[in-house]
Amino acid sequence: MEKGLRIETVTVVGANGTMGANVAGIFASFGRAKVYMVSRTKEKSRLAAERSAQSVRAHSIMTNLVPVDYDSLEQCVAESDLVFESTAENLELKIQMTERIGKSLRPDAIACTGSSGLSITRLAACLPEEKRGHYFGVHMFNPPYQLTLCELTATRYSDKETYIALKNYLSSVLHRTVAESKDSPAFLGNRIGFCFMNEALQYAQRYADNGGIDYIDAILGPFTGRAMPPILTSNFVGLDVHKAIVDNLYANTDDFARDKFVLPRFVSDLISHKRLGLKSGEGFYKLLRNEAGAKRLLVYDIKTGIYRDVINYSFPFAIRMKKYLKEGEYGNAVKSLIDNHSQEADICLGFLLRYIVYALYTAEHVGYNLEVADDVMATGYSWCPPFALMDAFAGVTDLASLLKSRLDDAFLSHADIDHIVSEYRNSKYDYRPFFKAKD
Amino acid sequence: MSDKVYILGGAQTDFERNWTKEGKNMIALLREAVADGFAASDFSCEELQRLNANNRVAAFVGNFMAERYIDQGHLGAFLTEVHPAFNGVPSARYEAACASGSVALEAAMSHILAGMYDVCIVAGWEIMKSVDNRMCAGILGRAAYYEKEAKDLDHPFPQLFGRLAQATIEKYGLDRDRYLDNLARISTLNYDNAKRNPLAQTRKWFMSYEEASARGSESNPCIGGLLGVSDCSQVTDGAAVVLLCSEKYIRERGLSGKPVVKGYGHRNAPLLFDKKIAMSGSGHILPWTRQTCLDAYARAQLSVGDIDVFETHDCFTSSEYMALSAFGITEPGREYEAVENGLIALNGAKPVNPSGGLIGCGHPVGASGVRMFLDLYKQVSGQAGTYQVVGARNAMMLNIGGTATTNYVFIVGQA
Repeated sequence: MEKGLRIETVTVVGANGTMGANVAGIFASFGRAKVYMVSRTKEKSRLAAERSAQSVRAHSIMTNLVPVDYDSLEQCVAESDLVFESTAENLELKIQMTERIGKSLRPDAIACTGSSGLSITRLAACLPEEKRGHYFGVHMFNPPYQLTLCELTATRYSDKETYIALKNYLSSVLHRTVAESKDSPAFLGNRIGFCFMNEALQYAQRYADNGGIDYIDAILGPFTGRAMPPILTSNFVGLDVHKAIVDNLYANTDDFARDKFVLPRFVSDLISHKRLGLKSGEGFYKLLRNEAGAKRLLVYDIKTGIYRDVINYSFPFAIRMKKYLKEGEYGNAVKSLIDNHSQEADICLGFLLRYIVYALYTAEHVGYNLEVADDVMATGYSWCPPFALMDAFAGVTDLASLLKSRLDDAFLSHADIDHIVSEYRNSKYDYRPFFKAKD
Repeated sequence: MSDKVYILGGAQTDFERNWTKEGKNMIALLREAVADGFAASDFSCEELQRLNANNRVAAFVGNFMAERYIDQGHLGAFLTEVHPAFNGVPSARYEAACASGSVALEAAMSHILAGMYDVCIVAGWEIMKSVDNRMCAGILGRAAYYEKEAKDLDHPFPQLFGRLAQATIEKYGLDRDRYLDNLARISTLNYDNAKRNPLAQTRKWFMSYEEASARGSESNPCIGGLLGVSDCSQVTDGAAVVLLCSEKYIRERGLSGKPVVKGYGHRNAPLLFDKKIAMSGSGHILPWTRQTCLDAYARAQLSVGDIDVFETHDCFTSSEYMALSAFGITEPGREYEAVENGLIALNGAKPVNPSGGLIGCGHPVGASGVRMFLDLYKQVSGQAGTYQVVGARNAMMLNIGGTATTNYVFIVGQA
């Protein structure tokens, strides 16, 4: 028998961070919970509460949000049915904070961390032994109101009944798309997504003479099944966050894709100059506005080290794809990618096929089923998920021969294509909305 | 001549999608809706060509205002761009503002009943996100008498339905707070139902009774007199396709268990809101809307007791409130009973808008009539999935154009 969780009071620790404020909004709205928002000062918490309400478009939840500071942490935790730690992604800090939370956590309460990649088991061990069974990783994506993905991770200490109850609560009360992940670096979504984005940066370096960053983003734009090109996405996430995630994956994974997590040199250089992306005004891209408010997007040129105007690339394969997508001819759009053998189309197709293979590989090793790869990529990234992408390809060609003929030998020597094709099933996600007729 | 009109099936697009943002045009929208509608009806382009060889198939397109939203007219002709199998198929566009889908359905029905065609394809659609909100509201104002009722107003329709709210309070001597509380409950119910509908515009949105009640706040500003944003259906893009057919075609294909259209009603009330309200006598506030329901009941030889599920035109909460008595679920003036005692909830005895309705599922105006009809079909054939009303045999819809100027009612049920 599964019991329903009663989560009436929640404490969010680190509530003035972007995720902290957004997660507080989710608990206070869908969860109808009273949420203590803890940050360094009450004023910071108060401002965060306003952002929480804005994030779910509902000012009425303000009455559920209680801004406090760290002086009240113990009191709030002791009162809470669930404590959500959302402090900076730093192991030492999180260990300290989890130990502190553990002291006043009620034995029947749940504690979660929003960590995007640290060891949940290590953090669970910071709690007193009798409370470790109620500790879980609950990783949401930004912004959670739009992206419903929630990666749920248990540890070897976890109480199974509580785990199932929490899973049900997250999906039926908070309306999250719950993806169960093993306690593995960066879990599922970021491992798959950052493999793609970091490889895009590696290619930008390799093709620096062709333009680099904007060249690769033009090849992998929204017309290839995503809301935003990959390097622009990384710019949005933040270069420092990107580095932390891929460094963690490089250090703690050892599969055939490990080298794809090597951060290109130019990225480290940008970070050392505090060019961290959108949040610091410049990174891979730089957005200028003139006095009239008109926008001008510049891109970092790897070759020259300066920001220049984005090049308006027009690759024949991309022009054709967008023309077909505009009128909803998905089969012809996919065919124009496969049938084109230009350097750009080859790069594009290679990325999409390696993504399919690596996403399913990751799901097999880090998840508990393959379909979870679809859930994480569709609802955490708004990228066409792997099985849906296979649906799009399978509509016009033979999947196995496509994969075998268009992936390079080095990659094929590690990937069991026949196994992947034998596991293929139609996605529950419709591939059509993911392919935009846009650059 | 055919005695009955059968429903082969149909499909709607995901009303969450913004086709302009996706960079896709009306052909893409129609192509997906038609492909999905055919697949769900076990119908094909080859079958379309076979029937068309003998002039046995026609298409009916419902759309309100593509001329303004996307600069395009002659909409009946566009199916030939969707697939060459439509070449030669008779096809035309039908318009009655937000009831455009229903007028296309009625035209399709009458062609089958007259024996003119054996299969009629009905496609309702609207692309609205192509313009900004303010401009969109102005375009929708053309569903009223624009010069007299809409021209100088910022959001004419919320204001007109705000006046319906005010008129309802006055006519029945209702307590204002209680009435507004009822409207908040109606809004919340539609949002809640939409959470179950995988194609609803608002399925990921947050709405609560508290939020719907907090009209005038930053997130729920007042927009039309008494009404807040939470009382309004939202603008979106979408298409819905259904396939109707004759008895002959059912026999020819050896099909069984297909639902039929049991009754319909179509009445036009005076165009101007003031004239409409002036007609309301001792009973219903919108007597022509009520009459349309009565016509449908009479033709179906059914009464409200026989209807298991309703889809209504909740362009605003005040129109759903009015519809409750128009359907006969309550006496006029006592609609609050059905709202307050849970009668119209998904698990109530008379569920209204299990799909989420216009507020929850979305309101691409030219598609809405067809979308509602499709939902009736899904309900009575047990295909509504997560928002299925268990055991539904008969279903009824009300689709209105303008301020309930054009009124359409259909009753669909198991044969």
